[in-house]
Amino acid sequence: MSFGDLGFAIQIAFTYYTVIYLTGLGGLFSERSGIVNIGLEGMMIIGTVTGSFGAYYFGAKLGWGVPMGPIMGLLLGMACGALFASIHALATVTFRIDHIVSGVVINLVAVGLARFLSTVFFEGQSTQSNPGQPHMHTIDIPLLHSIPGIGRAFEGLSPFVIVAFLVVIPVWFALNRTRWGLRLRSAGENPEATRSLGVRVAPLRWEGVLLSGAFAGVAGAFLSVEIVNNWREGQTLGLGFIALAALILSNWNPVRLMGAAFLFGFAQAIPLALRDWPIIRSIPEQFVNMAPYVITIVVLAGFVGKVRPPAAAGKAYEGSSGL
Amino acid sequence: MATAPASPPKIALPKSRPEWLENFLGQLGALVLSMLIAIGLGAIIIILYGENPLDVYGAILSFSITANDGPAYVLSIATPLIFSALAISICFKAGLFNIGVEGQFLVGMVTASWAALRLDFLPGPLLMWVVLLFGALGGMAYAAVPAILKVKTGAHEVVTTIMMNGIAISIVAWALNGPLKFTNAPPGQNVDLRTDPFAKNALVPDLGHVFGWGPAPHLSWLLPLALVATAIVWFIVKRMRLGYEARAVGASSGSARAGGISIGAVQIKLFLISGALAGLVGMQQLLGDRGYLPKNYEATLGFTGIAVAFLGQNNPIGIVFAAILWAILARGESGLQIETDMPREFVIILQGILIMSVVITYQLAKRRLARRQVRRAAAEEELVTAAEEAA
Repeated sequence: MSFGDLGFAIQIAFTYYTVIYLTGLGGLFSERSGIVNIGLEGMMIIGTVTGSFGAYYFGAKLGWGVPMGPIMGLLLGMACGALFASIHALATVTFRIDHIVSGVVINLVAVGLARFLSTVFFEGQSTQSNPGQPHMHTIDIPLLHSIPGIGRAFEGLSPFVIVAFLVVIPVWFALNRTRWGLRLRSAGENPEATRSLGVRVAPLRWEGVLLSGAFAGVAGAFLSVEIVNNWREGQTLGLGFIALAALILSNWNPVRLMGAAFLFGFAQAIPLALRDWPIIRSIPEQFVNMAPYVITIVVLAGFVGKVRPPAAAGKAYEGSSGL
Repeated sequence: MATAPASPPKIALPKSRPEWLENFLGQLGALVLSMLIAIGLGAIIIILYGENPLDVYGAILSFSITANDGPAYVLSIATPLIFSALAISICFKAGLFNIGVEGQFLVGMVTASWAALRLDFLPGPLLMWVVLLFGALGGMAYAAVPAILKVKTGAHEVVTTIMMNGIAISIVAWALNGPLKFTNAPPGQNVDLRTDPFAKNALVPDLGHVFGWGPAPHLSWLLPLALVATAIVWFIVKRMRLGYEARAVGASSGSARAGGISIGAVQIKLFLISGALAGLVGMQQLLGDRGYLPKNYEATLGFTGIAVAFLGQNNPIGIVFAAILWAILARGESGLQIETDMPREFVIILQGILIMSVVITYQLAKRRLARRQVRRAAAEEELVTAAEEAA
């Protein structure tokens, strides 16, 4: 056992934290506005393929290079995630389809759409793009990266990881200190009361769902552009669902979500970085690979009864013409 | 002085048709409309891509229907999808989402393979039935975990079953590396690629030759078995107490509880039946196509089953037709590639559009039907009140 492994594990955990936290924030905006979003995974998938295309197109084809290519990739993934989420908004807010049915369909459609887009984007390759696309220059965190033993955790991070740690400030402020945030939350708690105050519920819920697509999309784009450096089918690995579990564990709170996302991010790192640790070494490889999933199930089962989801989440608001 | 005769009230009743007919016409109308929408949107994509919609749709249909072995391929593709969609639909009756059919069918393939390899002393067709039973039991046991977690802790089955799917992939990998390891690998070949071949009497016999179709599509007796499963699910849902309770729970868990139904027990029973059906999803590739468990097994059948279940509106008979429609499109993929310049992935897009439009159209049709019923009830009430006032 060495601390070097632990540093490496934490570094990987930061990466997965970024994906899980941003996607979880997406779920948070949607669910606090009253729309359950099982389709986060699908929105991430769209983010991975369009983000990768953005980085490739703007970076290599148009010659915008680093870091503008990757940044454009992230922005494109974000925009396309939101665009794709509009299907969920249309189905759940406007047509009042069951939220879970729509989310499941979103996930199914995303897999096929990603393949189709991939053949259009990447010269007929349907399941991956060319590897080794440019990414932003990685950074070391001053001071922290020289901590003996676990300093490696703070080396070679994508700048976007820092963004994922700082984004909590504007998100918390928007939710808790602005009129819009108050209205968004009230749409998820008590839409009838919201409506009775003359505030329209449907636009708020549309905004919540579009934001969830934007966050999930940029998280997916981060995965393909910054971490893997190309698009591959199935690279989201169910992280959209793990983000949902993290959201539940956080009790729909953006600050606590950071801790939950890091916990599940660390679980992802176990099979990747801690394989040589004493006890883990003696377990067959395939069982170590199960760790992230098992930990998610155990944590979810242990906590789900102790948290309270937004009261009106999952319920269609049938007010006058659904407004 | 004689009272004036009550003049007949002037209220036009909505056209009155028997309720089952109205239901049926509504569903049929929604299905036809959503298929037209999907074909139309698909045509727009094809035109944007610079191809001719008639050529593209023609290629799909010619390859899957008029080609020689086409129908046999379509039916063999549809076979596992029927099991998978039935598994989804029986849970959905109670508002449960068994997204874990994917993992349950993988585990079912492992337990069935174990039975095929280790119980090969069983005589004749008995071995095949035991292997099928083990497949169903494997899926059932694996479905029990999220079911119990749901009932005991409230952990949402969508998240737990998705995680269980991830675990199942590792279980297959472990089985191919350990307990079911290939023993007779030729030198130089990777040993974790597949299991040993199964005994002949573990396999499901071919059905295609009965209709004069070649052996290549591997149409097997699993198709009739899938139809039997369809009938059983129909019977459970429509004629048994469990089906009634499931629908009550799905409609409103509060009133179901007030009506004395033990919701947890219903949910666990449905999940177990669903898991058993899911355990049979992999049998077509295991016992019909291959005769061994390979590392590169055909995955995602569990997810496709969700789409087929929605397409069939969770109705057992609808599911059979939906599975065939899905298989026609899936088989048509190859036709696209051979006969047109459209990427074969277009079919997946078309399938996605189809599902989305079916779900939305059907929901709108159901709401329209409900509104009509409310209107008619109100009109009838008005009639009665008017008649009472007149009397």
